Amino acid sequence: MLIGIDVGGTYTDAVLLRRGEILEKIKIPTKSEDLQTSLLNALEPLLKAAGNEEINRIVLSTTLITNLIATGNIDPVALVLIPGPGLNPKGYQFNVPDTFILSGAIDYRGREIEPLKEKEIKECFEAVKARGVKRVAIVGKFSQRNKSHEEAVASYFKQHAPEIQTVMGYQVSGRLNFPRRVVTSLLTLATQDKFQEFYSQIQKLLVQRGITAPIYILKADGGTLPFQQAFLKPVETIFSGPAASTLGVLALTPIGQTSVVLDIGGTTTDLALILSGKPLLASRGAKINKHLTHVRAFATKSVALGGDSEIQVCENTLEIMPQRAGSAYCLGGPRPTATDAMRVAGMTTIGEEKRAFEAMNMLGKKLKLPAEQTARLVLRTMVQRLAKEINEMFLAWEEEPAYRIWELLQKQKIRPQNVVGIGGSAPAILPLLGKEMGCRALAPPYAEVANAIGAALAKVTLRLTFHFDTERNFYFIEETGVQEKLGTKRELSLADAEELAFTWLKQEGDKLGISPGEEPELVYSEMFNVVRGWSTTGRLYDICVQFPPGILENWLERREQNAE
Amino acid sequence: MPNKTGLVFFPAFDWAISSTHPEREERLLYTKDQLFEEGIMDLPEIYEYKARLATFKDIARVHFCVPEIRAQVTEAHLIAAGGTLVLADALMNKEITNGFALVRPPGHHAMRVVHGNRGFCNINNESIMIEYLRKKYRIQKIAIVDTDVHHGDGTQDIYYHDPDVLFISFHQDGRTLYPGSGFPHELGGPRALGATINIPLPPGTTDGGIHYVLEELVLPILNEFQPDLIVNSAGQDNHYTDPLANMRFTAQGYARLNARLKPHLAVLEGGYAIESALPYVNAAIVLAMAELDYSCVREPDYREDKFKQSPEKMNYIKELVEHLKEIWKTRTLLAEQKEFYEGDFYEQKRSIYYDTDHIREQQWEQIRLCKTCAGYQMIKSRGMYPTGMTKTIFGISIPLRACSICQEEARNYYQEKINNPQGLDFIYLQDKPRDTYYRYSVENNSQVEIE
Ligand SMILES: [Zn+2]
Ligand SMILES: [Zn+2]
Repeated sequence: MLIGIDVGGTYTDAVLLRRGEILEKIKIPTKSEDLQTSLLNALEPLLKAAGNEEINRIVLSTTLITNLIATGNIDPVALVLIPGPGLNPKGYQFNVPDTFILSGAIDYRGREIEPLKEKEIKECFEAVKARGVKRVAIVGKFSQRNKSHEEAVASYFKQHAPEIQTVMGYQVSGRLNFPRRVVTSLLTLATQDKFQEFYSQIQKLLVQRGITAPIYILKADGGTLPFQQAFLKPVETIFSGPAASTLGVLALTPIGQTSVVLDIGGTTTDLALILSGKPLLASRGAKINKHLTHVRAFATKSVALGGDSEIQVCENTLEIMPQRAGSAYCLGGPRPTATDAMRVAGMTTIGEEKRAFEAMNMLGKKLKLPAEQTARLVLRTMVQRLAKEINEMFLAWEEEPAYRIWELLQKQKIRPQNVVGIGGSAPAILPLLGKEMGCRALAPPYAEVANAIGAALAKVTLRLTFHFDTERNFYFIEETGVQEKLGTKRELSLADAEELAFTWLKQEGDKLGISPGEEPELVYSEMFNVVRGWSTTGRLYDICVQFPPGILENWLERREQNAE
Repeated sequence: MPNKTGLVFFPAFDWAISSTHPEREERLLYTKDQLFEEGIMDLPEIYEYKARLATFKDIARVHFCVPEIRAQVTEAHLIAAGGTLVLADALMNKEITNGFALVRPPGHHAMRVVHGNRGFCNINNESIMIEYLRKKYRIQKIAIVDTDVHHGDGTQDIYYHDPDVLFISFHQDGRTLYPGSGFPHELGGPRALGATINIPLPPGTTDGGIHYVLEELVLPILNEFQPDLIVNSAGQDNHYTDPLANMRFTAQGYARLNARLKPHLAVLEGGYAIESALPYVNAAIVLAMAELDYSCVREPDYREDKFKQSPEKMNYIKELVEHLKEIWKTRTLLAEQKEFYEGDFYEQKRSIYYDTDHIREQQWEQIRLCKTCAGYQMIKSRGMYPTGMTKTIFGISIPLRACSICQEEARNYYQEKINNPQGLDFIYLQDKPRDTYYRYSVENNSQVEIE
């Protein structure tokens, strides 16, 4: 049996799945100041329902990292930068009081172009010690291609003050983009201990209850990791909520289709895309607390519109206000809301009908329309706004830069087959939205716990991105920080390199418990000849392989019938 | 208000002239690494756009392609040219304040008639962008500053008779470098004298020399010409490490050049020091255009004292600048003195060599000497291909602002040629006022409008 729990900002969802069926589902309000209690309260009834049957795994998705960062409850970190030539490092705004900039530089091929200065390292170390900072992030430009500078600085710290924790940029992310690597490294180190503390505590409590099922944590890219692995990069577990809901929808809708996922909440609607059965990942890392990072996440968009959105009339037109004035008027709130319009239109039975009419009349008076027509107008305005946002999202995907001819030519104009809604107002809005966009509206059963279903079924994923440089005799893996000489493999062909990549993937996959039956996939593979003076002196291969995000298929017999 | 700098980055990682040619997949690879590692695309001043395909009509606005456009361009060419159009639109829609099309393949050696590839170029990206801007947005006066180390002979050819487009090229002296043209006496046709300015610099010219030319000659001329738009035909082969040329320009030099020139649009041209120059030069230009601090962008081996201009070369440059200033000042007078003002047509003949494709071309060119407009242009061109085959074409180009008499005369001439096509394989009409472009095949006796 599988357990999935999503501790979201407002609600905590939990499900217990047995092959093909949902045995138990829970939805309770989240106590944002006490995630642990919320989590355990949701878990308790599931454990009861499970009885003595074996629980294979428990997947958790929480707002822990989001909350820690939002409340500033993270550990202070000093920052040591080795930027080399490029942007003036004084212009960076990482907002870290203890920032040190060292000489030294590595270039795009991983060559040292300027050595470190021992004296500067020493001065920086002493300053960090004097300031009493216990954590240091050391990040150099192009360190993913040559980690020697970062390691030299880190080992100086280790040697002279073993109690200071360090993280090196190359360990955190090998993707190109130094400022993002800096931010991601800072967040990694700043959240690691609190993350460890939180989940260790959960694990301990479970063990006390006799539960020994492995705990997995859901990540923003829709993959799960065993908790001890997730600890290495806790920041990757941020924004797991939208990933959970998208995976949940994936589980509850027909296979292989293109859908828009709408999670319609109180004042926001979160949009995500599933293209031909694959959740769309953002091409660049997520923005966290106004800073751009290397954290891979689903492409999501948040629209300030929901059931509690206040509706106003401004200059004879209806406007959906971004803020919430309180609950819906029909529920005793102060102002007309979308929910009141749905009530008047007969799409829900929430709240007092009389008050809902009153609310629509308030707006209708200014528009010189009766309440029913006003309600329809409100809903149409909402639906048109959503349709516009969805179209823009597809457009943004189409307009993403392409650096190869085939990439530029292959991107077709795609529009969704389904709009799939989860969240309280979804059943009312969805049919109208489907009509507006000319596609099918699906409000799948169990939509209210889609997040927990997504978490429960999320696959363990692994992505490895390789860069081989045969001329310079090395290769590295962006995600794991591996940097190795090619040595005897120096003459390897593109096919050899791909083979090596898959070997790595299987080997690392085993460590994470990815079942041998999973099909690895080649994301891309590209070769460049290094030509110097009209002859080829080496080759560069860029290869990416992965076990893609998705859901455990054999738990899914219900999917087709659920769709209708 | 911060600058909004648009970027189209199209490195064409899957296109090469041939696998070891300088114009190959690898060319912008390390530039990509540097730009991406810097996080340039994340800067709030930078707006990255996706390239698009230019249409055949966009190309026909500039070129007579022999035998047809399809034979001269690949998808990579269409995307490189289309990338510049994306930025042109963004600029005119005020989404950006300036833009840099980091695209390949390059274009500034491509002339109006295209029989094949010259100097790695098939179609002229800047000119396609400029004609698009003039047609769609009615921009009248445009200045092109060609900062590639090679003379921008293709662009010069296209605008040689156009008084509304000022073409300034500084480059390594044609006596020492391909394509061997671009001398001070090449000043533009009779109706556009002084709208072409060539500044051949001695090999070994450094930042100091180029900045002197910029400050003392280029900027004052621009100031007087008052263009609506400045385009930088931005080659990076003036760099001190470029394998195909012999200049001593640096990344800092390029950055400063752009900071002072303030081009609205820059389009990448040559530059083949793909490791030692391009990553740094491109980063520097982008930062300079975005008005960001570029002072820390330096080549690994850059030392300030290595790039002092020798007094002899500096004197040579100063004299050259004085000479060209004098020409610029007296250009109207010079035009009046020239005897080619006599008669209805100005004629010239020349032969052109296509280095990449080994094609020889003979051209007979005629310009209508009109009193009220720049006059239409007629070109008869014979291409002699390495296979021994020849193709002869006749092309008529009507400028956007041609007078009605010239327009009518030119259209009639096109019909006359079709009725009387002896010795010709193809006949072209470039009717810019109507934005219609025709190609007539003599063999098939059929006319196609290029869309
Ligand atoms: Zn050049
Ligand atoms: Zn005329």
